[in-house]
Amino acid sequence: MSVMTSTTSFAPELRQRRRPSGFAYIAPALLLIALFFIVPIASLLLRSVLEPTPGLSNYAELFGSWTYVRIFANTFLVSALVTLLSVIIGFPVAWLLAIIPNRWGSVLFAIILLSMWTNLLARTYAWMVLLQRTGVINKTLINLGLIDQPLVMVNNLTGVTIGMTYIMLPFIILPLRGVIKDIEPGILQAAALCGATKWQCLWGVLIPLALPGIASGALMVFVMSLGYFVTPALLGGTANMMVAEMIAQFVQSLVNWGMGGAAALVLLVVTLLLYAIQLRLFGVGRIGQEGQ
Amino acid sequence: MRKSFIMAAAAAAIAFTAPAFATEMVFTSWGGTTQDAQKAAWADKFTAETKINVLQDGPTDYGKIKAMVESGNVNWDVVDVEGDYAVQAGNKGMLEKLDFKVIDKSKLDPRFVTDYSVGSFYYSFIIGFNADAVGAEGPKTWADLFDTTKFPGKRTFYKWSAPGVIEAALLADGVTPDKLYPLDLDRAFKKLDTIKKDIIWWSGGAQSQQLLASAEAPYGMFWNGRLTALKATGVNVGESWEQNITAADALVVPKSAKNRDLAMKFIALATSAQGQADMATATGYAPVNTQSGQLMDAALRKTLPDQQGASQVNADMRYWAEHRDEIGERWYAWQAK
Amino acid sequence: MLLNFDKLGMWKWVLTGFSVLVALFLLVPILFIVALSFGSSQWLIFPPPGWTLRWYQELLADPRWLESALTSAKIAIIVTLCSVILGLLASFGLTRGRFAGRETLRALFLTPMIMPVVVLAVALYAFFLKIGLNGTLLGFVIAHLILALPFSIISIGNALDSFDRSIEDAAILCGAHPLEAKLRVTLPGIRHGLFAAAIFSFLVSWDEVVVAIFMASPTLQTLPVKIWATLRQDLTPVIAAASTLLVVFTVVLMIVAALLRKGFKS
Repeated sequence: MSVMTSTTSFAPELRQRRRPSGFAYIAPALLLIALFFIVPIASLLLRSVLEPTPGLSNYAELFGSWTYVRIFANTFLVSALVTLLSVIIGFPVAWLLAIIPNRWGSVLFAIILLSMWTNLLARTYAWMVLLQRTGVINKTLINLGLIDQPLVMVNNLTGVTIGMTYIMLPFIILPLRGVIKDIEPGILQAAALCGATKWQCLWGVLIPLALPGIASGALMVFVMSLGYFVTPALLGGTANMMVAEMIAQFVQSLVNWGMGGAAALVLLVVTLLLYAIQLRLFGVGRIGQEGQ
Repeated sequence: MRKSFIMAAAAAAIAFTAPAFATEMVFTSWGGTTQDAQKAAWADKFTAETKINVLQDGPTDYGKIKAMVESGNVNWDVVDVEGDYAVQAGNKGMLEKLDFKVIDKSKLDPRFVTDYSVGSFYYSFIIGFNADAVGAEGPKTWADLFDTTKFPGKRTFYKWSAPGVIEAALLADGVTPDKLYPLDLDRAFKKLDTIKKDIIWWSGGAQSQQLLASAEAPYGMFWNGRLTALKATGVNVGESWEQNITAADALVVPKSAKNRDLAMKFIALATSAQGQADMATATGYAPVNTQSGQLMDAALRKTLPDQQGASQVNADMRYWAEHRDEIGERWYAWQAK
Repeated sequence: MLLNFDKLGMWKWVLTGFSVLVALFLLVPILFIVALSFGSSQWLIFPPPGWTLRWYQELLADPRWLESALTSAKIAIIVTLCSVILGLLASFGLTRGRFAGRETLRALFLTPMIMPVVVLAVALYAFFLKIGLNGTLLGFVIAHLILALPFSIISIGNALDSFDRSIEDAAILCGAHPLEAKLRVTLPGIRHGLFAAAIFSFLVSWDEVVVAIFMASPTLQTLPVKIWATLRQDLTPVIAAASTLLVVFTVVLMIVAALLRKGFKS
């Protein structure tokens, strides 16, 4: 790399001369992204207005058909449900994880990482079997006398919601833990000294302070849920298909690239819009920290 | 500039994946016990005779065939498909013409032979139930299977748009077999609506077995061979052949398949009297080669779909080939509702 | 007081109890697969009538499982290497470069991470069908590299951000060649970032299903595709056996990662 070759003895000045832009560093990655990310996606989207005939007929069909509109509505419903459940379940755990003494914290932490890192299909497979009508959960509930008839928890909304919440939980717990950890304990102490009850502290101080973390985590879970494919395809029924599965079906089973491209565009626009909001509100840095 | 880069990338890709000599070909079918049987009866023998390795792929996916043929990058050589699809795809130019100099069609049941396809095996959709879960008295007729007061709970049906379920719904609604075609779709969907919430769909044969064995769905409509296989594993299965609906699978070669000549040889072996007899013995499906019967155990032979004494309804493959797309569209829209 | 575990009072127990339930919720499916893989019922009846190693024998007897695992490993390793190198270069450019539109580019590089995978999968499938990359090793590597790169850029970028640049300058002032300074001072300084980038890139590729489903051919199948195809046809306990081995692999990987992290700290 030519940018690295010159030598001078004075570093800051050298920094400026040696690296007029630094653009060369990103060139390889940029080339990869341009060629194998931007070009394919742009051409897929183009096909939605070119096939079978130029025009917006695919979009007209997509939004004109009750079947497709229902699939979009269902996708939003599932995503919203999963997000809500993830936040409600995830917040207390993140809170505990932020303040718990180290030894127990690391056990809990390891469990969360294990579930996050275990193969996605393996986890979904487990739920397929666990949630069956004749599965362990139904048998246990019947034996405990809690229900008479087995609950239907797979091939429907319940199955998808359980399976996806399971997958999304770590993505909300881990970043939220970081946010709560960063809160200055003194603030809460001050509130308590001023006579605030625990509930007042929780609702008036802790949750508002954690709100940016909750919002950004929730937004991320929502966006991820919108485009989810594997879990809905395996745990959902025919009556609650989600958009990602519909796109796959257009392309794979029906070989209708026009409709596939149109549905992809709609999904993409919604996702990028939410991404833009996330960037606006929380900056680039926050995204993806969950994995750290 | 972009184009030349793509070309360069493509060239690199070809260099990267230099295709091996034709020492292998690909056979695609529906997975599970049926494909295992096909592998044992056909593919393994073929490999023993020719030293050509037969890779197994699946499940069969008509969209994939279409995408492969359209892109010219076809990596399935022989595919087991449903009979009506074979007729339709042949007419649409998606399949290679079969080479009847290699494949001997004189002994094959002519009902299942077209320019583009020959029968693979011959099956019936029958009623099955888990006798441990519901007792010895299970549903006997399609009307029983559609009767949720007499037989409450879940029942399982074939998920995809294909000959079978619509016929069963019409028969259950009292249509006589001779009046079945042309299919009255409105009436069929109306009948299906009455049990829709009690249906669990099976998308592959192995799944249908799993649903029945675990009593997830204690009754349903099955490919007869899958029940035979299930019984062999010790599950207490009851079945009824009343008005069983027959159809055949077909073997086809997608247009511009990479190993066309090998594919013809493979099909020749698969449809030979011995190949068909072995397959039938292993699965409980009927052979399409008229000479196979003599090579099989007589008692077993009697249990196969083509020898059943019970009333039988033949699904009309030509009708389906003509109306496949429009029925499919309505079918999936109805399912998603 | 809400942030001090010992001063939570009654709430301590509520919070702990709730978290234990959630931990069980996270853990039960994984333990369940392990149990299932040793159960003797082919039809997944649980608790099973007996225990068996049959599913592991079937798994090992079918060469396609091993083959697909090797394919997955091969792809994941190539992806990891490429992703760390490209990610390192790109992170250097993004954190130290001074050209217009840096933030936009950074956002662009991270887009594959948030974008619905199915859209990318379908787009690449169409594109690769046209240029003949579908079903090839190179096609797999490119597709997974696109997905892995954002993780690499984030991990290495964060490490570079927190790396004190003056150390590198000091090395140069002391007469080191700038390249040497980068290799011998900066790289070791950000090694935890490189390590994280490698782990994430490997996992992204190793676990990836959606793109792989579209990309796979009969001759080239990754492990997730094999599991997916088997799952769709059949819920056979062989999947549980394969999954259990994957869980074991994950646990080993986590332990190695933890040990290495400890090593970095000391």
